Amino acid sequence: MRYVIIGASAAGQAAAETLRQWDPQGSITVISDEAQPLYSRPLLTYLLSGEIRPEKVWLKGADYFQEWGFEARLGEEVVQVVPADREVRLASGRVCPYDRLLIASGARPKVPGIPGEDLEGVFTLRTLADWRRLESGLEGVRQVVVVGAGAVGLKTADALMRRGFEVTLLARGAQPLSRMLDATAAAMLMDAVATMGIDLRCHSWPVALKGDGGRVKKLILNSGEELPAQAVLFSVGVTANVDFLEGTGLGDPGGILVDRKLRSRDPRIFAAGDCCRPHHLLSPGQWPYHIWPAAVDQGRVAGANMGGGSRLYPGLLPQNSLSLRGFKIISGGLGPHDTKDCEIVAELDQSRGHYRRLAYREGRLVGLTLVGAVAEAGIYFQLMAQGLPAPEPVTPGLLWG
Amino acid sequence: MKTVIVRPERCVGCWQCRLACAVEHSQTKDLAAALGEEVRPRPRLRIYPGRQHLAFPNKCRHCEPAPCQAVCIAGAIHRTPRGTVDIDPGKCINCAMCAMACPFGVLTYASLYKAPDHRAVALKCDQCPEREAQGRVPACVEACKVGALTYGEWQETQEDKGRVLAQAVFASLQSPRETEPSLPDNLRVWRLLS
Repeated sequence: MRYVIIGASAAGQAAAETLRQWDPQGSITVISDEAQPLYSRPLLTYLLSGEIRPEKVWLKGADYFQEWGFEARLGEEVVQVVPADREVRLASGRVCPYDRLLIASGARPKVPGIPGEDLEGVFTLRTLADWRRLESGLEGVRQVVVVGAGAVGLKTADALMRRGFEVTLLARGAQPLSRMLDATAAAMLMDAVATMGIDLRCHSWPVALKGDGGRVKKLILNSGEELPAQAVLFSVGVTANVDFLEGTGLGDPGGILVDRKLRSRDPRIFAAGDCCRPHHLLSPGQWPYHIWPAAVDQGRVAGANMGGGSRLYPGLLPQNSLSLRGFKIISGGLGPHDTKDCEIVAELDQSRGHYRRLAYREGRLVGLTLVGAVAEAGIYFQLMAQGLPAPEPVTPGLLWG
Repeated sequence: MKTVIVRPERCVGCWQCRLACAVEHSQTKDLAAALGEEVRPRPRLRIYPGRQHLAFPNKCRHCEPAPCQAVCIAGAIHRTPRGTVDIDPGKCINCAMCAMACPFGVLTYASLYKAPDHRAVALKCDQCPEREAQGRVPACVEACKVGALTYGEWQETQEDKGRVLAQAVFASLQSPRETEPSLPDNLRVWRLLS
């Protein structure tokens, strides 16, 4: 049995290890366009801030592939998958035939498509190579604009502030993390962000970048205001890496559609991680949600099923933890936009900076936001994940600790 | 692996275990001196108040597999040779992913004297490695006066409890039903099981 896995990060590596346990003899080939062993992508913003040293990002050693008996094709790009021939074709000319294929190619950062994007001094942050490029690109820079106030944008803005740059952070909507936080939690976040000295602009979006000598010099906002900047970082979301699936009918840039066994429409092809569009636990429909633990879970299920198992993916439970210089927000389940028909129990302790927002549907917890006192978040996530009937906290603070 | 066994029905909520835990995890390991330490030591277990006199001690169970270890993006959580789950303060980046993953909510985040620059890191029960190396029981177990926290192999404890329960059931089936005084639940259960 020949197994091929495109992608050697969170989902790909979890799938490969699970697959090896199911099939100790089969040939497992892992292809990655990155030349290094597995590293933790979420740590890149911590690398940027200087909180961790570069040698701490590795999750596996250099002889990882050899130890597990995987055939590794590192630093190789996939140009085409041909389901009819059951082949994966690489840019180097090499062909990898497969009996079962897993696509765990992840996603790449989006850029908004505005004039001046191709100037020097424009960055995204997703890979180790991006970080290296950013580090060298920050030399001589004084002012940086970070576009997009999601989790990555917030962490990046904080990291750059710590390094001594003047940072402006642009949020498209009325608040950062618009899909995760209600107005109260967002206000607390914005207070914290202001205390950190980050210049956050809401309802702000770049319409053009202007340069001088090929390098970015300023950014024009939707309001018409001009922001001087020698570096611009876009963190406005990611799009699935599915270019090599052109012509197969499987490659949706919104994510490869999969069933509950993480199989695509082609029974020999599976997908897991940021590149796919899985079912969700608490809501109908399928859409991508990009977080490392979900990619690992999906990788494990896909790997088992490739190896002959019949595991069902229970459905993705959105979850996010943001920690900015000790200020913490944990949110999960359905966001405020999706809990309009739910019973909401919200408690705010302004003096301590604690906020708790719980969304209930038919006596079960389906949405959670915790600001400040986040340490017991896992208990709430278990309630959501298992669909346990959860009584509303009658005496706030007492029963829930 | 020996572990801390919790009998919540015995807990009276005195918090001596929390005090002992904090002192054990201080720099000086002395209560008076610990109060004055630059980085205040923290207890790694919580006692939740419940209704009537029931209190619930909650601490890390050193799960196998450990969800916190699986989700740690910094690779700071590992299993020690003796089987406990440990957080390396030198690697922890205080991101709180472990709090999201732990089904029991046993994590806490605070400054630690052992962490670089005394920075805030994830803290939880480490089953007192220094005490165990000296052949002593964990600090919380030593502090508990009511036997709510004991130290032993869980399989042995399970068998003991099973035996006692079976005897109690057998005994209650033998004797005619008597009217008993109305006691709080925890005291009634305590009498039955001890």
